[in-house]
Amino acid sequence: MGGTLKRAQEHLALAVAGVVLCALVLLPLVGVVAEAPSGALATLVSPRPWLLLLRSCALAAVVTACALAVGLPLGLLLGRADVPGRRAALLLHALPAFLPPFIVALGWFNLPHGNALFSFAGAVCVETAVFAPILTILVAVGVRGVDPSLEEAGRLTASPWKVATRIVLPAAWPAAALGALLVFALSLSELGVPLFLRVRVYPAAVFARLGSIDFAPGEAAVLALPMLAIAAALLLVERRIGVRRSFAVLGLRSEERPLLALGRHRTTATIACWLAAAASVVPLLGLAIRTLRDGGFAQVEIGASAWNSIVPAALAASVLTVVGIVTGRAVARDRPGSRLLDALAVLGFVTPAAVLGVGIITVWNRPSTAVLYRSLAILAVGFAARYAVIPSRAIAVAIAQGSAHLEEAAAVHGAGFLRRMRRIVVPLHWRAISGAWLLAFVFCLRDLETAVLFYPPGSAPLTVRILTMEANGAAAIVAALSLAQCGLVAAAVALGAWLLSGALR
Amino acid sequence: MIELDRVTFHEILHEVTLSVDSQETLAIVGPSGSGKTTLLRAVLGFVIPTGGIVRIGRHLASADGKLLLPPEERHLAMVFQDLALWPHMTVREHLEFASSDGTRIDALLRRVGLEGKAERRPAHLSGGERQRVALARALVGEPRALLLDEPLSNVDVALRAELIALLRELLAERRRPALLVTHDLREAGALADRVAVIEQGRLVQIGTIPEIQARPATRFVEALLADRA
Repeated sequence: MGGTLKRAQEHLALAVAGVVLCALVLLPLVGVVAEAPSGALATLVSPRPWLLLLRSCALAAVVTACALAVGLPLGLLLGRADVPGRRAALLLHALPAFLPPFIVALGWFNLPHGNALFSFAGAVCVETAVFAPILTILVAVGVRGVDPSLEEAGRLTASPWKVATRIVLPAAWPAAALGALLVFALSLSELGVPLFLRVRVYPAAVFARLGSIDFAPGEAAVLALPMLAIAAALLLVERRIGVRRSFAVLGLRSEERPLLALGRHRTTATIACWLAAAASVVPLLGLAIRTLRDGGFAQVEIGASAWNSIVPAALAASVLTVVGIVTGRAVARDRPGSRLLDALAVLGFVTPAAVLGVGIITVWNRPSTAVLYRSLAILAVGFAARYAVIPSRAIAVAIAQGSAHLEEAAAVHGAGFLRRMRRIVVPLHWRAISGAWLLAFVFCLRDLETAVLFYPPGSAPLTVRILTMEANGAAAIVAALSLAQCGLVAAAVALGAWLLSGALR
Repeated sequence: MIELDRVTFHEILHEVTLSVDSQETLAIVGPSGSGKTTLLRAVLGFVIPTGGIVRIGRHLASADGKLLLPPEERHLAMVFQDLALWPHMTVREHLEFASSDGTRIDALLRRVGLEGKAERRPAHLSGGERQRVALARALVGEPRALLLDEPLSNVDVALRAELIALLRELLAERRRPALLVTHDLREAGALADRVAVIEQGRLVQIGTIPEIQARPATRFVEALLADRA
């Protein structure tokens, strides 16, 4: 290979990753702004959409506050305290985070007094149950990443409780802040839970103008504009929290360190942790009882819709992992342009799915791209736009933990960028890269908000099929499909847990 | 030959000028944070000096804030302080990676005392064996120059003497320019022909140990000499 080309390998790879991210994330957002018809701007003149937006923001804020109230103490306890079976409890507690939120709502609905959920408070409860584990996991990993010497210095003069609350938790604040931001963004995007619980939210208003008798795509684009502004604000907040600080905390460091002794509070804390873990499984029991009692699996064919979920999810996860290796490594090593690429990926995640969906329709629903738009590939495009940040950040965290010298040693011996990637970076981090692929795959698999806006006719993924059947299908069939969705996710999560446990050994 | 002409890097290095002749070993000595490792990384091309010129042999490697020759094209070799051995590769794979033709691997393994260990990975080697792998990897590609960043900082006294003897032999055999970073003047005296002392990013003295002993330029150099005695 020519010297010039060899020198340009890294820049070319970053440029390709940048083009992919721009096409996936930036193009749809530009499309929303460019294609919003001025005639439809009148939609925003009335106070109704603004009140609805306020209501959505209030819902997201309350869910975030509740998630912090649950996730901070649980993250500390399950991450560092001497709670018996804390790893199992964390795994159980985390389960809903990998499920489509409205399936958790469906599970609770199938339990006695399930009708009580149909309110704003019900939506807060369900979304907290689903999103709080994200905060718990980030805080748990964060407190495990705190330098043990900081704690030891504190332990010389203070009680374990004081050390936990004054040293360990504050040191993990970037993780908690990042978690709060993610929860707010996910809650603001959430469509399935409010639709199911009949709670009016802003994304549902956008959805209504794309997929029902209120069909008005121009109005949908206009309605998306205020949410685009919120996405920009969320991105700014995320930048302020600090990319590098969050990497310092989100470590995969595995060395064993002494657990915080809870003393006389141990029993109470253990009961609280295991109650939280059990609460995560209860909705699944609701679904299982309904399915078994009414023979749900006997009445339904699952195959095609599962396939419609798996294929685009796998495709998107694969593309994102390849892009993520390039961008994640660049972010971890602070290469020029890496922060811009990272910001683009974050923007895709914090942008409400309704906005991204409107943009994707605007950009791809054209005669020249009809082949792609009418196939499952459009779902992969949507998933990739929304979840690009997941593999990129996961890989960046893994690479940032390793010594830069390992790659530099290869460069000294004449290895260009591609050879270093192939021979050093990928083999060294293959478990983390596989884990990143699986994480992206699971997030794509659980997606409803993006897919529901533009899934190809006759190719609804499982999440969309469950939502549409929920409105007019038999409860047992809906429960059976929901359990199938849980099974898919559980299989992927189990594989991921096995891979990551190997990485941490 | 390695030449640095008024090399500056932000507030870390200030107009450092020095050269290492074609068969010479030059030790860079200085306290922690004095800029020794940054200087080495500027020679390697991992940091681009904000000012000055780095020349390797006849090639201009960087000049006035521009990288003209990336690290992979400088044909240098480096023994990292943490050794930077690739955990997923065997000893032989390390040498194959660094070698252009793979012909000298077995001879070099014998030379550094690693015969019989070629198929082992770093996790299954002793500390001394890992040091030898790092050395062999650095030498196998016949580099233009050898750079060593505190290569003996993590070894015990007995092993240090053994490795110093091996390093001296290898440096004498290879007859290549070598740049050794250390904070230990005894190590510098044992391995290097000349010593350059760096303090707060400035080159304060350069010469042979007797020359430096005869006229120490600063109190730090005096302290270094006293410590050595």
